[in-house]
Amino acid sequence: MSSSSVEEITDQSNDLFTQDGVLLKACSGRPVNELNSIGMLCIVQNSDGTKSIEWRPSDIITVCAVQEQDWALVNAIGRRQRTFSGNLTADYATARARIIRMPLNELKIFRVTNRNQQMSFSNKVGVWQSTFFFQHGNAEVFIAYLKSHVKTAKSSRDRNTYLVVEPTDETRALNRSFTELDIFQENTTDVVWNIVSNLKERPYETTMEAFSKLSSIGLDYNSGSQLLYYGNEASSKRDVSEEVADLLTKSMVAAEEAHSVTKSDEYEVISMKPTLPPRPSIPRSTPLSQEKWEGLQDTLGRVTEMDGVKQLIFRGGVAHSIRKQVWKYLLDYYPWHMTHAELKALQKKRTDEYYCMKLQWRSMTEGQESRFTEYRDRKSLVEKDVNRTDRTHPFFAGDNNPNLETLQDILMTYVMYNFDLGYVQGMSDILAPLLLLMGNEVDTFWCFVGFMERIASNFDMDQAGMKHQLLQLQQLVMFASPELAQHLALKDSGNMYFCFRWLLVWFKREFSLIDIMRLWEVLWTGLPCANFHLLICVAILEAEKEVLISGDYGFTEILKHVNELSMRIEVNKVLSSAEGIYHQIISAPHLTDQIRIILGLTPLGTSAPTEDDDAPEATGTNCKDNDAAANVSTSGTDMEEAVLEYDGIEISIVTQTVWALLA
Amino acid sequence: MAKTYDYLFKLLLIGDSGVGKTSILFRFSEDAFNISFISTIGIDFKIRTIDLDGKKVKLQIWDTAGQERFRTITTAYYRGSMGIMLVYDVTNEKSFENIKNWIRNIEENASADVEKMILGNKCDLDAKRQVSKERGEQLAVEYQIKFVETSAKDSLNVEYAFYTLARDIKAKMEKKQEASNPPARSGAHQIKPNDPMRKPTSWLSRCSLL
Repeated sequence: MSSSSVEEITDQSNDLFTQDGVLLKACSGRPVNELNSIGMLCIVQNSDGTKSIEWRPSDIITVCAVQEQDWALVNAIGRRQRTFSGNLTADYATARARIIRMPLNELKIFRVTNRNQQMSFSNKVGVWQSTFFFQHGNAEVFIAYLKSHVKTAKSSRDRNTYLVVEPTDETRALNRSFTELDIFQENTTDVVWNIVSNLKERPYETTMEAFSKLSSIGLDYNSGSQLLYYGNEASSKRDVSEEVADLLTKSMVAAEEAHSVTKSDEYEVISMKPTLPPRPSIPRSTPLSQEKWEGLQDTLGRVTEMDGVKQLIFRGGVAHSIRKQVWKYLLDYYPWHMTHAELKALQKKRTDEYYCMKLQWRSMTEGQESRFTEYRDRKSLVEKDVNRTDRTHPFFAGDNNPNLETLQDILMTYVMYNFDLGYVQGMSDILAPLLLLMGNEVDTFWCFVGFMERIASNFDMDQAGMKHQLLQLQQLVMFASPELAQHLALKDSGNMYFCFRWLLVWFKREFSLIDIMRLWEVLWTGLPCANFHLLICVAILEAEKEVLISGDYGFTEILKHVNELSMRIEVNKVLSSAEGIYHQIISAPHLTDQIRIILGLTPLGTSAPTEDDDAPEATGTNCKDNDAAANVSTSGTDMEEAVLEYDGIEISIVTQTVWALLA
Repeated sequence: MAKTYDYLFKLLLIGDSGVGKTSILFRFSEDAFNISFISTIGIDFKIRTIDLDGKKVKLQIWDTAGQERFRTITTAYYRGSMGIMLVYDVTNEKSFENIKNWIRNIEENASADVEKMILGNKCDLDAKRQVSKERGEQLAVEYQIKFVETSAKDSLNVEYAFYTLARDIKAKMEKKQEASNPPARSGAHQIKPNDPMRKPTSWLSRCSLL
């Protein structure tokens, strides 16, 4: 690699916007063998402050992800670096010769054809100088960006053709700002490369980020945000009834609508992101009572209506008096279909198993321990954390509290149960409420095993599970609350790291012990969809949206604010709004497969390639939740669904069985 | 709005789990100590404004989770740090040995010119001590980093440590500003994107005199 030639390329111009995967289809004065080669279409800032459209062949330029794909997606401050493969010094002259450049102030006309996948440019009317084909999706993002730099008017003869009128004031302001100011807090190249790398996967969000970067310099803020919110504002001004009518008529072609960018005559990026339907307010119900619970078991103790029970628990939680019993089912310690006698046998078996594993570490001699570093490390971590877990609660307070020893024993036995995972910080938080409720060491252990089974990926060595969830959360916020998503992106918080604690220990640190019990039991039902815990995050954030945006909270304030929400969130309120958001999302006409997959719904398969990339992974990591989702759909066929209607949205929340129980 | 400070320094506390990072921070920001702290999940920060040679210096001190597994998340917050406290526990040999790993971690993730300091915490627990003060000093000399033994519990040297680190940052910043007068704003753009060993942008280029 020759750095000197690279410097030449980068020093001459500064990439403001780049679009990968653009094929050169035609260019006057170029040999045929140069056509149909793939490259990158950019808007670049020249050293003299002017801007150009530039196409660069990509056979000498490769983007090399220095991190694993998944991670790079999450990382808002992309660490992707630009590297050049091959013998660059030798290729350099040829490569440079193949670059196509058109100064923006010479651009007179451009047109968009071929289902928005093809763009032609020219500096004079009557002849097209260059034509490009956008392989990845279409050109709308590029057009939107281009239109922020040049003022255009639509041709009267051809609505797909745009005439460049004159440089706008904003353009001049931008010109000035780019030369005079440090536009980006981060390394400019990082920003641009982040845009490049993200465009493919999430074009809309990336453009939004790109715009927000620009608007953050303060000069172009108004025009920038107008551009961004054009579609939203337009639709929010519409009558609600119109919205509902839309819902009904569009529902058949929803998915296609969401992805067709063209509103036949205009190219508004945002117009393909309409607002969500209004949020239904769904009341919470009363907890599953002892009486009902007992009525749900047959004479032998089998729970016959598992789906109905889960529905009831989802709606109202479990009465504290029977929690101890019901949790064993919810956490897969007790199978629903077992009789009392079978459960008794199971419990005996599990008890023996537990003490056998406990003995394994209890019988380790000091000598053995001294030669077993990994074990020793885990033991010491457990000790440290047990001593600082919920110590303010009377159950764990005071010196030499025997309950601390039980916590320690269970966690150490879990280390033996799953040595590969071992002990990771956060597990003691997960365990404490279980022990507080169960009291019994063995029962607590097996319930803990069940809970860990659901959230094991939170504790992955490489944190892949956490990163994946943070990414999914980002996508959900983007869909359900684009304004908030834009603010977060603008404030360098688009990676959602500030929600890390929420996700790692399932909000354990955000609620009192009694409230966390309610939240967890609802989440364990797996209803109403996969990853409902992410919608809990969305609901909490959505409630704080006004504060975060109107207060113009930045990177640090966002984190602080979110951390300080701890113990101030109302569990029932948040459950209710999360469910409301769920219904908003699934009835949105522009619901994408990406979101469907996150929520465990069957993708329609009509979406852009970006979502296909995510599909296998998303289904893989959430198999548990998907199982739950599958249950819901099967139950739908077995039982009649009760359908509520609210503002045109149909909400099916309870089954016939449950109605009967409630009566 | 009236300025409440002259400088804003971002500091970071790192070190193995349970060495007392949160306790040190709590001591410094609230002048208090609690034997049964909760472990830190994710990241948090606290603020304290101190007076340094007539200047109001606002310290924004970031506290991180110590377990290795969480480093991919916590290192995201290294960006922009001007000073880092490397904390070990004098009663825990392993946490001392790991200081070297933490230093490597800084080199990979923080600015090259970040100010550092090593703290040997829990020095009140003399009976349980596994790492002598001399070994701490020796390590500090080896890396040319300042060192002090602290006790968050007994409030020993915690103030001193933060003041020292803040003073060093201030001195370095002022020196740099003098050297580049009028202030050069080009730092962020001089870094070549193709340099694989590229360090994050120097905090100095971002630090603003408010």
